[in-house]
Amino acid sequence: MRLWIELVVSGLITGGIYALVAMGLNLQYGLMRILNVSHGEFLMLGAYLTYWAYLVMHLSPFVFLPPLLVGLFVVGLVVHRLCFRRLAETTPEVEAFEARSLLVGFGLMFVVQNVALLVWGADLRGYQYLAGTVSIAGVGFTANRLVAFAAALVLGLGLIAVLRATLLGRAVRAMMQSPTGALLVGIDVRRLHPAVFGVGLALAGAAGALLSMVFEISPSMGEPYTVTALIVIALGGFGSVTGSLLGGLLLGVVEAIGMHLTSPSLKMVLSYGVFMLVLITRPNGLFVR
Amino acid sequence: MSAALRITGLSAGYSGFRILDGLDLDLAAGRITAIVGSNGAGKSTLLRSLAGLLPRGGQAMVDGRVLPPGSATAAVRAGLILVAEGRHLFPRMTVLENLQLGGWLLARPERAARLERALALFPRLGERRNQLAGSMSGGEQQMVALARALVGRPRLLMLDEPSLGLAPRLVDEVMTLVRRIRDEDVTVLLVEQNVAKALAIADDALVLERGRLVASGPAAELLRSSLVRAAYLGGRR
Repeated sequence: MRLWIELVVSGLITGGIYALVAMGLNLQYGLMRILNVSHGEFLMLGAYLTYWAYLVMHLSPFVFLPPLLVGLFVVGLVVHRLCFRRLAETTPEVEAFEARSLLVGFGLMFVVQNVALLVWGADLRGYQYLAGTVSIAGVGFTANRLVAFAAALVLGLGLIAVLRATLLGRAVRAMMQSPTGALLVGIDVRRLHPAVFGVGLALAGAAGALLSMVFEISPSMGEPYTVTALIVIALGGFGSVTGSLLGGLLLGVVEAIGMHLTSPSLKMVLSYGVFMLVLITRPNGLFVR
Repeated sequence: MSAALRITGLSAGYSGFRILDGLDLDLAAGRITAIVGSNGAGKSTLLRSLAGLLPRGGQAMVDGRVLPPGSATAAVRAGLILVAEGRHLFPRMTVLENLQLGGWLLARPERAARLERALALFPRLGERRNQLAGSMSGGEQQMVALARALVGRPRLLMLDEPSLGLAPRLVDEVMTLVRRIRDEDVTVLLVEQNVAKALAIADDALVLERGRLVASGPAAELLRSSLVRAAYLGGRR
């Protein structure tokens, strides 16, 4: 029984991070059809900035989290303005825009990764934060993992609450459900699109900050999280932020149990297996009615 | 009679293909004006370009103020609200959420007041305020679309084929509602496939052919005219 508790809790902890990354990417894709494959690089950027703030300014990751969110939100506005706004204006066809945004995303991925390599080098880096052990139902977990999970959950649920309970959040959902309908009620999509893109990057950065408390970081750490986020989005449904939260948690648990029953080296095989199974049996996602 | 909408030299179209070219038009305030014309005459293009969904040339003035082209937000802010063909509701949101978003540009107290007023006009929607819009029948969805537009404080309400896909009984219901909306001091511009029904409830009418205005006048007169009867009502000139 203890083993299963450990597996499920470990899976949920990892899944919380997956959810946070996927929620940001799903907002960007669900709203603007931007297939931002550089999403994970901004997670990496968040991780390095948090590491740097801890090392140089001795700031706790949680104290640094609010300025990091604001900073990456602003980076999102700039990236959207420089890369995606003009692309959207010159490419009215959705399919063509998705393809071109994918190519732009690849370009961004290499730019951000190489800037990180230049600034911080290729070595693995890390720091010790809340490394003590906490016992849950007789199973020991490091405090930083539990705290990271709690923070991911708070951010994820907070985003869902904003989307559901505020008029601004409803406007974002409206743009996802009917772009023409949103225009007809006067929602200014030219202002909201960059803001939502910025929120997506801020969430990726937050996920990176939380990861940096738990794992060692490197300039190439972002890529696998982009792939995982796409799998989570397929699980939870394209455009469904709540689905991304549930999908992320589910994928984390499936990976943890699957790796225990098979081998840790089969982690990606398990993820892709789930991905293909869902695409074949429930192409709209597990949680979309 | 004051003009709610004055259009001068309006041109609009799709992908470089110009459908409207140099259209001039004055629309009387507080009345229902029906636009009649065959498919491709430019009726929907006119509404969509005025609503800011399509780029346009020329000038449009609402209550004496110039409307900037190509901005849906500016159009709604000026009180030019379109209920487009296909309704474009937010299907995974409740009726209430759809109506609240109709008042997106209004301050909270005004939005709440207008929402209550719209629900008073459409009591059936009040009973179903928590139902998802996408799960409603076509007629009910049309009512949500009309009510959502009303929450937005329209000065000029543009209706594009409001009876499309509805049963005859519901068409009559929608037409009655359009009259009641006019009685609330809202100017209505109506594009409707059912020409007889449209002219029966309209005060004025315009006939568009290939992007040009070929006739205009009181709806009752046009309903009797040989041009309209022959072209749109299956009668003889």
